[in-house]
Amino acid sequence: MLIAIARRLNLLIITLFILCLASYVLAFLFPGDALTNLSGIPALSADQSHQLQLMYALNEGWFSGFWTYLKLTLNGDWGVSLNSQTPIFEDILKLLPASLELSLYAMVISLVVGLPLGVLAGLKHRSYTDMSILSVSLTGFSFPVFWLSLLLILIFSLQLGYLPMSGRISLLFDIPHSTGFILVDILRSEMPVKDAALFDALRHLVLPTLSLSIVTTALVIRLIRRSVVTVYASDFIKAAYTKGLSHSQVFWRHGMKNALLPIMPQLAMQFTVLLTNAMIVEVIFSWPGIGEWLIQAIYQRDFPAIRGGMLAVSAVVVTFTISVELLVRILYPLNKRQFYAQT
Amino acid sequence: MPRPSFYQEEYYPSPMRHTWTDFQRNHIALAGLWCLLFFIVAAFLGPFLVPYGPLQQNTDMLLLAPAWNVNGDISHLFGTDSLGRDILSRIIHGCRITLGTSVILVLIAMLVGCSIGAYAGISRGLRASVINHLLDAIMAIPTLLIAIIIVAILGTGLLNSMWAITLALIPQFIHQTRDLVRREFQKEYIVAARLDGASNHRLLVKDILPNMVEVLVVQATMALSVAILDISALGFLNLGAQSPSPELGTMLSEALDTAYAAPWSVALPGAAIFLMVLSINLVGDGLRTALKNRLLQ
Repeated sequence: MLIAIARRLNLLIITLFILCLASYVLAFLFPGDALTNLSGIPALSADQSHQLQLMYALNEGWFSGFWTYLKLTLNGDWGVSLNSQTPIFEDILKLLPASLELSLYAMVISLVVGLPLGVLAGLKHRSYTDMSILSVSLTGFSFPVFWLSLLLILIFSLQLGYLPMSGRISLLFDIPHSTGFILVDILRSEMPVKDAALFDALRHLVLPTLSLSIVTTALVIRLIRRSVVTVYASDFIKAAYTKGLSHSQVFWRHGMKNALLPIMPQLAMQFTVLLTNAMIVEVIFSWPGIGEWLIQAIYQRDFPAIRGGMLAVSAVVVTFTISVELLVRILYPLNKRQFYAQT
Repeated sequence: MPRPSFYQEEYYPSPMRHTWTDFQRNHIALAGLWCLLFFIVAAFLGPFLVPYGPLQQNTDMLLLAPAWNVNGDISHLFGTDSLGRDILSRIIHGCRITLGTSVILVLIAMLVGCSIGAYAGISRGLRASVINHLLDAIMAIPTLLIAIIIVAILGTGLLNSMWAITLALIPQFIHQTRDLVRREFQKEYIVAARLDGASNHRLLVKDILPNMVEVLVVQATMALSVAILDISALGFLNLGAQSPSPELGTMLSEALDTAYAAPWSVALPGAAIFLMVLSINLVGDGLRTALKNRLLQ
């Protein structure tokens, strides 16, 4: 058990280390001066440039340069943005919760919708129910996410006028920033019009969450359906039926456990897909999240910001995936062999 | 003397034929195949058939509605955009760019990924474990994110986004091939061939590759749908093909300015992407089911 945890932690640390290394190398690969790319301060005078060089230890060889960079990164000093001259790390900390919030709600919706549908399709394998659920899900994940969100905006915001088309909340409400999760922030704040603000935030959430979750729901349905079909075709289910267990007993004790736990890591992978799709959706809905910020940084060729944003997003993705794997390992001992890399 | 022919009466289809018969039984997948063929034909022949060029502007007819609308005109079947360009012509040219580049980059990614994957599959020890760990780390990052990072380094443009998506697609091919090669290598027919003195290279090319082709084709269809979605997403974000180009995603982002006045200029290019991806997914799914059925027998 401890070995398994150590292995995962090892993988996590090595991966994060590689990501840091990659982001350091990126500063030299990007066009322009490496020093400017690292710090975000366009070197004005020779004196300032010299000071920065000392700070990043660039003249002491690449190894100690990287070591200094690593220390700075861990301390939260990620340089400043070329355009706005604000510290990148603080920007990211402020923006990341908005993206996470969006992806989290979309993930919850896709699990709540996708799980029962996937299980139903798997249980009624090769029936009309299965066929219809499968075709709906196939259609669902063929949608280009940007087109889907545009269509939703066209229909629900422009034609029908039910829902707002951009932003997180109406500008009338001034929400103090504490956690970055807007619903939590509203609930924690001491506002006189809390209910109205909450309702408004929810209305802003509907379209982005919907356009994100449709694609993910489709993927979740397919994953779960396939897993349920495989488990129900296996011998131990037959044995359980032969033993005289009822449908519901087989379903809860043998079917679900074995069908859902092994695909947990794959379900976790969907979160990363979600986060990428969220970047596109954020651009369309002007959602002030990390994706929108990163894409703006690419437009403006703001290299320190691109470097920081890339590091942050991939670190979140990798940490999330590995922690889910570890969780599954704790809950589901059958995976033991895979973790010791025996095949 | 007439020989008894027990075996001639039964017909043993070849594996390829078997898969095809099974595939045909799935009508939805067959419809997907026809739809995909239509797109391929449109991509090849369409540009010679359409009456307007993709960049040809007609200033007398700005934002014309599609022909089925009351305000439409039959001379522009899908209407025109804000610069008076015929949308149907642009979509057909766009299919050529989007589908064509996706096919090319999937082929490149498959070639490179399979070579590395085969190497990873037959290598053992430290080298294999390094490749495995690196792969696990890369596989965790979605392709679009990798593509966006690579585009950030290389700069925007259709060619750069192609490179980016190719590089981003390679890991999944490596993963698939490595697992397959490893699984096949433990089977008895490989052991038999090895006892006959076949080298690793010969085993790979003559024995394992024929067994892998179909799985790789299924994987390639999946990669193709991802590639189309990614290339049009990059185009949409203005990171891929640049503005006057009739790439479908770029067309969509261009149409955004007039989305309220001309919703069809947003809806139609997106519908083309959607149908293309849907047909590819249907074919891929049908192939996968047919293959599974054959292997189960």
